[in-house]
Amino acid sequence: MSPRGRQVLLAEGLARQGHVAPAVEACYEALRLDEGDPLVHTLLSDLFLAGDFYDEAIAAASRAIELDADCAPAYLSLGLAYDRRGGMWDQSILVWHELAEVVPDLVTAHVQLGEAFAAAAFEEEAIEAWKKALELDAHEARAMYNLAVAALKKEGMATALPGFRKAGELDPSQDDFFFALAGVYDDGTPAPDPIDVPPDRDSRLAAAFALAFEEDFFSAVDLIRLILDDNPDDPEALALAGYLYLKQEAVNEAMAVALRALAVSTKTPTAVYVLGAAFAKRPGLNRNAARVFGALAKAVPNQPMPHVLLAESLLGLQRYGQAKQAYLRAVELDPTFVRARFGLAAVLLTEGEYALAHHEIRRAAYHDTRRQGLFWQLYDVYAEARE
Amino acid sequence: MADDAAASLYQAFVNQDPAAAISVIERVKQSGVAQAKLFDQLFAPAMSLLGGAWASGAIDEYGFTQAAVVAEQITSFVTPPTTAQDTGVTILLGTMHRDLHSIDKDITAAALKEAGHRAIDLGEDVRPAEFLERAEETGARIVIVFAQMNSTALSVSRVREMFAAGGRDDLVLFVSGGPFAADVSLAKRVGANGVVRGAESALKLVAKVTGAAVPGAAR
Repeated sequence: MSPRGRQVLLAEGLARQGHVAPAVEACYEALRLDEGDPLVHTLLSDLFLAGDFYDEAIAAASRAIELDADCAPAYLSLGLAYDRRGGMWDQSILVWHELAEVVPDLVTAHVQLGEAFAAAAFEEEAIEAWKKALELDAHEARAMYNLAVAALKKEGMATALPGFRKAGELDPSQDDFFFALAGVYDDGTPAPDPIDVPPDRDSRLAAAFALAFEEDFFSAVDLIRLILDDNPDDPEALALAGYLYLKQEAVNEAMAVALRALAVSTKTPTAVYVLGAAFAKRPGLNRNAARVFGALAKAVPNQPMPHVLLAESLLGLQRYGQAKQAYLRAVELDPTFVRARFGLAAVLLTEGEYALAHHEIRRAAYHDTRRQGLFWQLYDVYAEARE
Repeated sequence: MADDAAASLYQAFVNQDPAAAISVIERVKQSGVAQAKLFDQLFAPAMSLLGGAWASGAIDEYGFTQAAVVAEQITSFVTPPTTAQDTGVTILLGTMHRDLHSIDKDITAAALKEAGHRAIDLGEDVRPAEFLERAEETGARIVIVFAQMNSTALSVSRVREMFAAGGRDDLVLFVSGGPFAADVSLAKRVGANGVVRGAESALKLVAKVTGAAVPGAAR
């Protein structure tokens, strides 16, 4: 391995661990050894972006592209830097176009292209780009959020709100929240085979949650039935049954078992969640949903999701000011929460605050690409291809 | 009474009898329960009974699904109406002549319509005379003019002049847009009665003028 290679690897390692300042130093050291390495300029640009040094990020990413026009991670950094710096929509549109050409199946490139078009007030082109993203991946939540924002701008909140909720369902964070309420987290252990589950309530319930987490709904339902055969008034088993019905779009069944669970015990947060989610799917029940999610937000005040669910119900009641407060609380609890950022953007649009709304959308874009680890995915593919 | 009615509704679900379910609902309504309370006082307890019956095995999965279908069929009888009742208040909205910004206006118009008002959107680039003509035609009492540029915001004074010339000083003129948000005195200078700062603000100002209820407020 050449000395240059070692230095680049050192910079990469530091950057991956989030040690920004030492990583920048390591990058400069690598550039002293070889100024013409696009990988190092790309790394530097991502590091500058992480520190909100947009002009420096733009310069570094531009240099990487000058050195190699196929450097996909540099386009990502450059586009994000243009978007976040603001006022550079023309350049931003060009960059996202380029990235979509270099990596045609990269869904995020189309989502970002749409956002750049929207910021430049090319609404129709933006909608086309988001539709293209959804063609590539029907579960692309951010494209759906953007389409909801576009619907808000044209037709108001009543038309947009189902879109926000649909996007929220595509976003895995809502399911994660349900499991977090039940104390179930992904610890890497696979769910057990239902045949091997000991015949006691706790083992069955734990296994049912694990199977539901892995989306093996039928096996989970079988275990729930065994629990309910022993005790039909088990609120946690009823709540999980409600969740499983919700996942199969059986809203009335979900509502029925959640209501039963809460009749047995009002202190079952998973049942509260299922009931609220069922109410939210019914037009005209926003007031009920707001009441339920309000109670949930009080029960688990440090979780951002119930504040967002509450906010969405308040949007349905035209209580935009209260919705804004709930969204702000969610963003405060988790600044990387994309759904909350888009919701906040929607409220800001109802207040005529376009610049602030677009700021929130840009922040959502940045955090979404970080969450996906998109830079490192593109970086690794690019680095491997060079070797 | 409520418990009996919920049990009857539950039985109608289980018997897959939507007509019986509707007759239970009608009976409860006639007993004085308001439409807004039907869901909480009747439908939710019946659904809870249904969930309990499924949990205990009193009804099987098929029966549960069929009962849920009946519940679906009669949901609209027990939920509050999805569209607000017509308030009878007509409001004209439009973006000022030479101004093509529409987003703020579109969102506000949609919010007013959702709240049951008769919001008439005149579009963008609306000449002052058109606001007066359409107010005469429609009988609107409230006009909201949107302007996002300083030049167009200043020219809103021509709308007020037009109203005065037409003998319609009674028309309530609200303005909306960045220049008015930035300089509160500007609204007064152009003869406006108030500044709309977004959709919820529009709902509140209209409620203030007409005495209508603000949407979402507890009833």
